[in-house]
Amino acid sequence: MGPGDAAWVANPATETSAVDSARRAPRVTPLGQGRFVVEGDRRWGEAFGVRVGGVAWVFVDGEVWTFGADAERGADAEEGSQDTLMAPMPARVLKVAIHAGQMVAAGEALVTLEAMKMELPMRAPRNGTVKAVSCQTGQMVAAGEVLVELE
Amino acid sequence: MSTRPAFRRILIANRGEIAVRVARACAEMGIESVAVYSDADAGALHTTVTTQALRIGPAAAVESYLSIDAVLAAAQAAGADAVHPGYGFLSENAEFAAACARAGITFIGPSPKAMALVGSKTTARAVAQGAGVPVIPGEAPTDQSDEALLRAAHRVGFPVLLKPSEGGGGIGMKAVTTADALPAAAAQARREAQAAFGNASLYLERLIERPRHVEFQILGDHHGQVRHLFERECSVQRRHQKVVEETPSPALSPALRARMGDAAVAVARAAHYTGAGTVEFLVDGTGEAARFYFLEVNARLQVEHPITEEVVGVDLARAQIDVAAGLALPWAQDALSQRGHAIELRIYAEDPARQYLPQAGRIALYRPPSLPGVRIDSGVSEGSDVSVHYDPLLAKLIARGESREAARRRALVALRAFPILGIRTNTGLLRRILTHPRFIAGDLDTHFLESERDALVEEVDAREAEARAVAAGLGQQAEAGPGQPGRMDPWDRVTLRG
Repeated sequence: MGPGDAAWVANPATETSAVDSARRAPRVTPLGQGRFVVEGDRRWGEAFGVRVGGVAWVFVDGEVWTFGADAERGADAEEGSQDTLMAPMPARVLKVAIHAGQMVAAGEALVTLEAMKMELPMRAPRNGTVKAVSCQTGQMVAAGEVLVELE
Repeated sequence: MSTRPAFRRILIANRGEIAVRVARACAEMGIESVAVYSDADAGALHTTVTTQALRIGPAAAVESYLSIDAVLAAAQAAGADAVHPGYGFLSENAEFAAACARAGITFIGPSPKAMALVGSKTTARAVAQGAGVPVIPGEAPTDQSDEALLRAAHRVGFPVLLKPSEGGGGIGMKAVTTADALPAAAAQARREAQAAFGNASLYLERLIERPRHVEFQILGDHHGQVRHLFERECSVQRRHQKVVEETPSPALSPALRARMGDAAVAVARAAHYTGAGTVEFLVDGTGEAARFYFLEVNARLQVEHPITEEVVGVDLARAQIDVAAGLALPWAQDALSQRGHAIELRIYAEDPARQYLPQAGRIALYRPPSLPGVRIDSGVSEGSDVSVHYDPLLAKLIARGESREAARRRALVALRAFPILGIRTNTGLLRRILTHPRFIAGDLDTHFLESERDALVEEVDAREAEARAVAAGLGQQAEAGPGQPGRMDPWDRVTLRG
């Protein structure tokens, strides 16, 4: 696979004509072991990239990017995360400050978890009404476990 | 200092980067090393750089790295004649130090008595005051009721800082500006203190508005000698956990440095301190007009010790081992000096854009650069699994230069050449700290990270086209990396993670 092919594959993401993109999109040459040479805007440099599941992780000039099924759901994904509050890591439920039917404001601490010797307040992602509370004080929760659902 | 081995075999009662670092010191000294690991750390980097490795328990720290019984049993099974406790875990546990002594194993650190004396903030303050060192107005009320705390807070003067009497790392510390905020803050502080240190008693002190955290490295031997190895400025911190450290401190004039160094030595002497330790101060102001106040003593080797090593030219882990073996420190105080400048960046598996939430997963790609004047102390390697059971520190990047600006630029170049993929880290934040005008000017205090939050957490999308092209290129290749997808955390949504 040559640099030209890589530029072609980048086209669907930018939604412009194939000819324009081939002129503008940077050229990428894989060197193996996750290393790449990137040529764009008459500059070239070293980049790194690796796929983890459905996500491409890329390192260019000191910045880290992720692209892929989970990452690019964009607006849809944001809405999904607005309805549920999940435990980000294994933790113990220290305090449940709300009950079903209660109205909450964005940023309000709904549940407080304890992990890594710190208290972690889990805050409402938006204004709303609590649909269901799926945890209780003293409970150990796993990463990804749903704590609270909003209407 | 010495060419013959001080001990035959040292058990390293720790994990991650510090265990790797101590193992290196042992190897250089011709001493065998023993690693210990929990189930979560089977195959971890630190278990592969020692002479042998022993399992000490399940993942939970209290059942492994914090278990005196498990660690001592391992030391005895391995025939170790000394134990190096690293930092955190059992390093400042006087009971552990005493248990080692009873078992006939040398604990590489201060005596249990000195450790207990400086380990409690209240007794440490008394030691400092007795040594003529200024301390911040504060109180340790014997009556721990809210009413008594409130009366003490009025005497000390608002704003006050509530702190757990035992323990550090910023855990359980709460700033209180008004009297009515005190009961709730005290309740939370007591809960955190109980959970972390098994002791809910609180201590109060006056809060200084724009303090700089400046600490002095000290070394004491068993021949009555105490030396200081100058200072480290650690003002770039969040939740009282340090992120960037440097030496020399831009805030100190030579005269202030000499006075603070003398004060640090005086405190260590008064406590009959042996081994490596750090005397922490808060500095109010800069240069000749600055005032310094004793804060506390850390009776262990600290995370940020490498910057002292780079600038003073002393290997602190080796010095600890030599002191524990009974050797005398070979330098007079005036033979020690600082040369050049060093900056350390702490690379954490965390997401600064989401309240610094610790990250877990597999590190799919990890390529530390090899550059002159750049030292990287890693606790992980490519393919390492990062779990949530322990501190999220992955590695320390230490850049040295002839001047502060040279060190700063070198640190930036090194960060740009250091890819870590598969797990979110704070490298973007570190880069933005290094290029922030206040950091460049050396205008720092412990509130810097919080007050400049918006500028530091903001994301810059300079090379999006190039990054997309590489991602597209990856789509054509077979799945790279160890073949096991990293565990993604539930907040994963956005594209730019720098």
